[in-house]
Amino acid sequence: MDDDASNNNGLMDDGLKIGKYTFKSRLIVGTGKYPDFQTMKDSAVASGAEIITVAVRRIDFNAKDNMLSYIDLDRFTLLPNTAGCYTAEDAVNTLRLTRELGVFRTDLVKLEVIGDAKTLYPDNEELLKAAKILVKEGFTVMPYMMDDPVLAKKLEDVGCPVVMPLASPIGSGLGIRNPYNIKIIKETVSVPVIVDAGVGTASDACKTMELGVDGILINTAIAGANNPVGMAVAMERAVKAGRLAYLSGRIPMKLYAQASTQMEGIVF
Amino acid sequence: MKKIMKININDKDFNVQESVTVQGLIDVLKLDIKSTAVAVNKEIISKNSYTEFRLKENDKVDLVSIAPGG
Repeated sequence: MDDDASNNNGLMDDGLKIGKYTFKSRLIVGTGKYPDFQTMKDSAVASGAEIITVAVRRIDFNAKDNMLSYIDLDRFTLLPNTAGCYTAEDAVNTLRLTRELGVFRTDLVKLEVIGDAKTLYPDNEELLKAAKILVKEGFTVMPYMMDDPVLAKKLEDVGCPVVMPLASPIGSGLGIRNPYNIKIIKETVSVPVIVDAGVGTASDACKTMELGVDGILINTAIAGANNPVGMAVAMERAVKAGRLAYLSGRIPMKLYAQASTQMEGIVF
Repeated sequence: MKKIMKININDKDFNVQESVTVQGLIDVLKLDIKSTAVAVNKEIISKNSYTEFRLKENDKVDLVSIAPGG
């Protein structure tokens, strides 16, 4: 799809706003689960994403390759996550560490506080607790949350400039299990909504964007595809197509046919 | 002769020079300071204090950086 074509039709996309930051791309991609760093890099570039998520971990002194040598810090904004943290305290401390890491050039952080190992569903109370602390400490907090409109409002109220409800469990590829909740969240909060987790393929990404959400965060669906770079391109197009379809306004659904060819002038 | 002491780095025991600073440790391990964060006994050490902060016997040091994640 051509950005210029959509701009020419008065449907200029003003970009994804997260707190004081604005990004052109509405797709954020993860860096986990790739077969190798080169594929990770090629996929991130192909996706057109400007933000890529990373974890914060102890240095592996036996590692053969250095992830950072594959990341152009002038091109990508690194978004640290708190994957694997089960308490507010652990998540907050993990993100405090990022302040000492020069590779993070913004105060954007992806906050996740896991409540259950099997579903990787977030722990609502701990998430809210951690969000409050981190906002006070000056972080721009992007919380990964359940598709719960009440919680979304609470997170907005404590100062999160974006909310990130899941579509379905992390890595499941099930797509949006509750599109109505995502729509209600979008109507409930005034901050942007980024759907994080569960998107399985390009049609999921497109349908998600058609709901009117502001962005999508995808990792497994790209990294786990047979051809990650190809899927990254597909996702980039799907996100743009879904956004443009949303802005353009879809036709209402009707039960019966409505002829698209005029009847006037019919010969037989 | 310089004395050595035992510290724990990322869950492994290491022998290092007694009273080595955090900066000294980073230099010995040839780590890139820009992409490394340090905690000693779970307390995060500010980059400004790497040259003054001296490690003690049995300190538990965490050296962290970025890793793949979603």
